[in-house]
Amino acid sequence: MIDSMNLVILIASILVIVAVFTSLVSFRVGAPLLLVFLFVGLGAGEDGIGGIDFDNAPLAYFIGSIALALILFDSGFETQRRTLKIAAAPSLVLATFGVMITTGVIGAITWLVLGVPWLVALLFGAIVSSTDAAAVFFLLRVGGINLRDRTRSTLEVESGSNDPMAVFLTISLVELIVLGGGDNVAFELLQRFVLQIGLGAIFGLAGGYALVQMINRVKLEPGLVPIITMACALSLFGATSILGGSGFLAVYVAGLYAGNSNMKMSVGVRRFQHVTTWLAQIAMFVTLGLLATPSEFGAVIIPGVILALVLVFVARPVAVWLCLMFFNFSRNDTAFISWVGLRGAVSILLAIVPMVEGVPEGQLLFNTAFIVVITSLLLQGWTIRRMARWLGIIVPPRHGPVDRIDLELPGNANQEVVIYRVHDASAVATGQRIPRWARPSLILRDGTSLRPHSAGPIQGGDQVYIITPPRHVELLDQLFAGPAEGANDVELFGDFSFPATTQIADIGRLYGFAVAEDDIDLTVADILERDLSDTLELGDRIAYGTVELIVRRTDDEHGVTDVGLAVEQQIAKPKRNIPIFQSRSELLSIWKDWQKRRRDEKNAALQIGSTSKADQQGILDAAHDDDNDTQHDLGATDKTVGTDPDANSDPDTPADDGKRA
Amino acid sequence: MTDADSEPNNATRKMDISSILTPSGVIPALRSGAKKAVLEELAEKAAEVTGRDASEIFSVLLDREKLGSTGVGGGVAIPHGKLNDLDRLYMVFARAQNPIEFDAVDEHPVDLFCMLIAPEEAGADHLKALARISRLLRNQGMCDKLRGAGSADAIYALLTQDEAEQAA
Repeated sequence: MIDSMNLVILIASILVIVAVFTSLVSFRVGAPLLLVFLFVGLGAGEDGIGGIDFDNAPLAYFIGSIALALILFDSGFETQRRTLKIAAAPSLVLATFGVMITTGVIGAITWLVLGVPWLVALLFGAIVSSTDAAAVFFLLRVGGINLRDRTRSTLEVESGSNDPMAVFLTISLVELIVLGGGDNVAFELLQRFVLQIGLGAIFGLAGGYALVQMINRVKLEPGLVPIITMACALSLFGATSILGGSGFLAVYVAGLYAGNSNMKMSVGVRRFQHVTTWLAQIAMFVTLGLLATPSEFGAVIIPGVILALVLVFVARPVAVWLCLMFFNFSRNDTAFISWVGLRGAVSILLAIVPMVEGVPEGQLLFNTAFIVVITSLLLQGWTIRRMARWLGIIVPPRHGPVDRIDLELPGNANQEVVIYRVHDASAVATGQRIPRWARPSLILRDGTSLRPHSAGPIQGGDQVYIITPPRHVELLDQLFAGPAEGANDVELFGDFSFPATTQIADIGRLYGFAVAEDDIDLTVADILERDLSDTLELGDRIAYGTVELIVRRTDDEHGVTDVGLAVEQQIAKPKRNIPIFQSRSELLSIWKDWQKRRRDEKNAALQIGSTSKADQQGILDAAHDDDNDTQHDLGATDKTVGTDPDANSDPDTPADDGKRA
Repeated sequence: MTDADSEPNNATRKMDISSILTPSGVIPALRSGAKKAVLEELAEKAAEVTGRDASEIFSVLLDREKLGSTGVGGGVAIPHGKLNDLDRLYMVFARAQNPIEFDAVDEHPVDLFCMLIAPEEAGADHLKALARISRLLRNQGMCDKLRGAGSADAIYALLTQDEAEQAA
């Protein structure tokens, strides 16, 4: 007995070690790390070189649930208030309706391809309906893909919040299949949904609040705080689930609440959770890999791949498009969001449920889901960077690499110590004055510690110790970080740079264009902020007069601080503008255009038919109307800033460009 | 829509450097070592080639610098401005042996200066010339060659070489 325990410990730890080492490969070749973990599990399993015969589905589900609960809690904890604010609405729509649409579409295709009863087919749709947060974020980070804030935030919040929905749908459908529905299935489902989501959200908020209060009031040994936080999260998960709510939603919401409150020692908790999340990922993927029996995959590989392709190319795009239509994302951003709908461990985890609960097709569903996940990770995971480049949606980073360590101060001073190794080319090392709030308390240079007043100017390579409230850290990063790659890229940021306070009238006088009467008193930043509304990002550009104004530098406190000016107007389009994923306003204008054209055609036909004398005139009129239509159409589409290839393309009439209309 | 697709963009149509710069408008080695002095020296050279008052040109350039430095990064600056009753665009090119602090966007000192002065009413041409210069000096290879060139004539030849090739 003891021996076999030791063996389990040995095997489990070796698997973790192998998984960790494979991450080296993954970072180097850019392969989706989670796929690598999965293959470690597969390789160790009954059909692989390890030959471990692990087929304890309930145990795998148990491990997976704990892991997922921890991952979701951490994911909520790390989601900043700002992210939530800008992305809550689109993400919630994606996490609810998006998941349902995906479930429906995949359900229908599963019914066709696998030939299972329709409820089982729908169940399969639910199993693969949620995206994998970890997969998405790992890939974005490793790929160095810097997206627009809103796009990134939407992906982030979506992937965290759609898991509870997929879990709810899967478990509900399994119960429906196993226990049979009552007379009123729809009503029961709705009731369940309200209970699950409602209780999940309420318990999550209450749990998060209780956790923060407890940590802040009770004086605990610092080393125990992360542990009690984790234990509280898991107990919240358990309690909510037992009471009929969604435990996964509860931990996610609790994480959101606690992570955005002034919780004591949150730096330590974060660091600890960073570790546990990695461990949870490894444990979950390796276990799920172990559980699978690849020799059985042959039978389902074709339907599996078909379903994966339908998921990637039909179900997800349709769901994303329908959900985001009303949120005014650019077509290319919508396309990207649809492409990074990676499936991951959650899908495999959910595929265990039917097996455990005795759904006859359980094994079939599990194997097929496995194929779908692998295909999705391979296809989308491997191409995510190329896709982002192809769509032209990568935005320049705000600053270059930062070498920073955070330390927590004892007590609840709401201050922390941040230590930077000053980058040689950072703003501070190249002579920028340090604001008062950013003055270091201590400077380490060549191994000796210096008082700030005796150290002279800060140099590259210095280590500076600064005591600061956490909210200033992002600003500090900008001072001590290296220059962002391409920060002075003329193509991106224009030929010249002006401070945000420069009057547009001065620019107009200098570069020879008229400034509209209403704009005379505005600064260049005012113009950008007005025309780009709430979606201001580095590198965003608008045509004004005969030049282009570009958001060159921003900070969180002041908004735009530097404005770039390009003396050439380029066509402000991404590399491509794909012909699908139109937003609501674009669709409306297409519809109106079509209607009008039809009306005009009818009129023309009528006039030709009625009087032969008026023939020519009628045709002329119709042609004239057509011209007007085209104009109108251009004007309407121009409003989707930065996405329309037709905008600004006419160099002779730039002054009243559509974007300023 | 069709206009944009079929016709070349106005701004990319050629603006020849040889039509705004003469070999005498090249300063191969600036004497000055500070921003203002450089602008003064550029203005003096511009006064020579345009026949206008140097202090007038200097104040135009200085006004422009006050709005924001024309140091565009990579050791390059493009001081520019507009002057009343000028007959056409004029360019002056100057090189400094030791790079000079110019408040450039990348904080790096500047050793290549390409000054452009335009008539008050020059709209599109002014921008076209600026775009042409900006594109030319965006080319790292070109900047390296300009830094290594031996004489004013060599610099002039470099600045106008692709035009000469095209004309040939």
